[in-house]
Amino acid sequence: MKVAMIGWEYPPFKVGGLGTHCYGLTRSLADKNVSIDFYMPKTKHSLKSDKDNLVIKEVGETEIFPYDRLGNKELAGQFFEAVYRYNDLLVRKVNGKYDLVHCHDWLTMKAGVVLKEKLDAPLVLTVHSTEYDRSGWLYPNDWFISIEKEGMEKADKIIAVSHFTKRVIVEKYGINPDKITVVHNAVYPIGESEKKKIVLFLGRLTIQKGPEFFLKAAKKVLKHEDTRFVVAGVGDMLPDLISQAINLGISNRVIFTGKLTEEEVKHIYKISSIYVMPSVSEPFGITALEAISAGTPTIVSKTAGVSEVFRNCLKVDFWDTDEMANKIIALLRYDALRKTMSEQSKQEIELFTWDRVAEKTVDVYRGIA
Amino acid sequence: MTSICFYFEVHQPMRLNRFSVFNIGEKNDSFSTYFNHKLNQQIFEKVAKKSYLPTNNLLLDLIHDFDGKFRISFSLTGTFVEYCERFVPTVLDSFKELFKTGAVDLIEETYFHSLSALFDNLDEFEEQVKMHRQMINRVFGYQPKVFRNTEAIYDNRIAKKIEELGYKGIITEGTEKILGWRSPNFMYKPVNTNLKVFLRHYKLSDDVGFRFSAHGWPGFPLTAHKYAHWLSCCEGDIINLFIDYETFGEHQWTETGIFDFIRHLPGEVLRYKNLDFVTVSEAVERYEPVGEIDVPWAISWADEDRDVSTWLGNDMQIACFNELKDIGQRIKERGDKDLLYVWRLLQTSDHFYYVSTKGFEDGNVHAYFSPYDAPYEGFINYMNILQDLKQKVH
Repeated sequence: MKVAMIGWEYPPFKVGGLGTHCYGLTRSLADKNVSIDFYMPKTKHSLKSDKDNLVIKEVGETEIFPYDRLGNKELAGQFFEAVYRYNDLLVRKVNGKYDLVHCHDWLTMKAGVVLKEKLDAPLVLTVHSTEYDRSGWLYPNDWFISIEKEGMEKADKIIAVSHFTKRVIVEKYGINPDKITVVHNAVYPIGESEKKKIVLFLGRLTIQKGPEFFLKAAKKVLKHEDTRFVVAGVGDMLPDLISQAINLGISNRVIFTGKLTEEEVKHIYKISSIYVMPSVSEPFGITALEAISAGTPTIVSKTAGVSEVFRNCLKVDFWDTDEMANKIIALLRYDALRKTMSEQSKQEIELFTWDRVAEKTVDVYRGIA
Repeated sequence: MTSICFYFEVHQPMRLNRFSVFNIGEKNDSFSTYFNHKLNQQIFEKVAKKSYLPTNNLLLDLIHDFDGKFRISFSLTGTFVEYCERFVPTVLDSFKELFKTGAVDLIEETYFHSLSALFDNLDEFEEQVKMHRQMINRVFGYQPKVFRNTEAIYDNRIAKKIEELGYKGIITEGTEKILGWRSPNFMYKPVNTNLKVFLRHYKLSDDVGFRFSAHGWPGFPLTAHKYAHWLSCCEGDIINLFIDYETFGEHQWTETGIFDFIRHLPGEVLRYKNLDFVTVSEAVERYEPVGEIDVPWAISWADEDRDVSTWLGNDMQIACFNELKDIGQRIKERGDKDLLYVWRLLQTSDHFYYVSTKGFEDGNVHAYFSPYDAPYEGFINYMNILQDLKQKVH
């Protein structure tokens, strides 16, 4: 089986779960004798695959950061143009004989829809997030929604990363639930090392990820416990978050790391005592699996996709910062809780392999190609 | 003749309030802040209506219909009787009425349905057995002859203590772990003391308690006719069928046909000339031990493991248990009666059950009975309460 897969990021060039997913998925598919041409925008790095039946094909010169919320109209205009340019390039550059086209999220959907016609091949679409998630359900942008809706309608099969996302696709985009399959994400285990007294937030600093709730909880924890809080990542909320920490009077206990390299990310997961993912809207949340795979007890938002499938983590409502603080303090104080959670989650995390994701994806392919 | 010994466990725990780390040290009254009295009342009233009252009425009718030939035994925990007295006194009245028929026997246990038998010494355990004895004497004017520990937790040490306390029999699980090839359908004697041990026939008991409405089970649908036939085919002196009382109408809803099953069971059983019903006291008089059992490590009737790992199986449970023990010593030194009562309510095994992290299959049963979404939630809540109590006795 030969697949034209269309993405927009691939490690080490990645900002989100989509890149991680494409990496794990394509490599495990390749191991299952599916041959893949992986198309993506050209990056500063030159990407190569070490697997024979996985070929990375960079298209054009565009680097796009689709998760930033653009306040500036001029920037936004350039951004939309760049997206069109990438999709146009894809339509021209993707040629040949494929059994199916598989694209990921809104950024590649326009090309996916045209390529389906051009190559006369069925279209599979994986939805990692929707505009509703990225906007934190505040003022979702119609322009994105219309692209997403068209892509979902034209796709022969849709893979959603959680039941939560499947519900959004059905309820908000009016898509027939029968053509949607839920495939939860996986993780390449990071491994453990010695812990420091650090409570970690790691993710894009955007409204979707709820970093302001992390800081509010930090304030409550610091009244009772002496610990350090680390906010790792960049995003449009960074200046506001720094001000928030100052206003809460906790800036001496909160460290903003800025952008981290992949190695630094692994390191911070390993040395943290607790990972918190307080997302307002989280289709899946691979970072939770990454933290857990580093032996770090994890608190996640109840509505996050990962909450549906992973038992051995703590769950909170993202807005309930009292409860979030209660759980952080409990984890800091009660050794037995930390120990049991990391032991139990170590066993459970072994079920979350990319091989399983690839297997389920192949099942979806077989249904149409 | 093979005797059917039906025994029902009747218990409700005092479920806890949500208690966050921020509540620790607030210096509020423990009894009113630790326990969720509203929820407990709601659940009790619901179960009374769905299970206790209709089942008691049905059993009373059956005892009359069969002229006392249908005989049963109950174990009522102290917390259960307190609930009755506080919220639904008619439930207790109906148990008294059942007892008056003479076809109903009562079993002793720890007042608080506690894990006190697992403490380093058995003083607290003994006190709780005596509290239960006093309660049964006060309410029913009766002194039970047979003892059953919380969740049938049993070992040689407990057996010895129970003999010392003057009981004639003790109930536990008929697990292969202690029986090997031997049948549970006889009385046994503990290796170290002179007592009669009743061994629960777990397969036939769980057929009713767990599998009654399981569609995938080959025995489904279970009718009284079929079940009586199975009983009649058993060899031995006594078949011990020990079941949670809430099975009737609560774990197994009315719609499953559980009440019809019970309604027809005495008639179907008594059709067989080789079967009759006995209470636990009668069984102790009638049957002699056929062999010895040696139980150096505690067993129970819970989960697949049939040991105490359901309550003390992970680090969180052990941390709670150790904390609980330490606090108890301080409370006893201080002699504060209110805190002692609260401490004892916190010994109820259910609080530990909610913190169990056992595998998926058992985990599902745990999830059904737990007020928490996860064992970790149960741990944090319970441990926070223990920390508050600890501060109070410092």
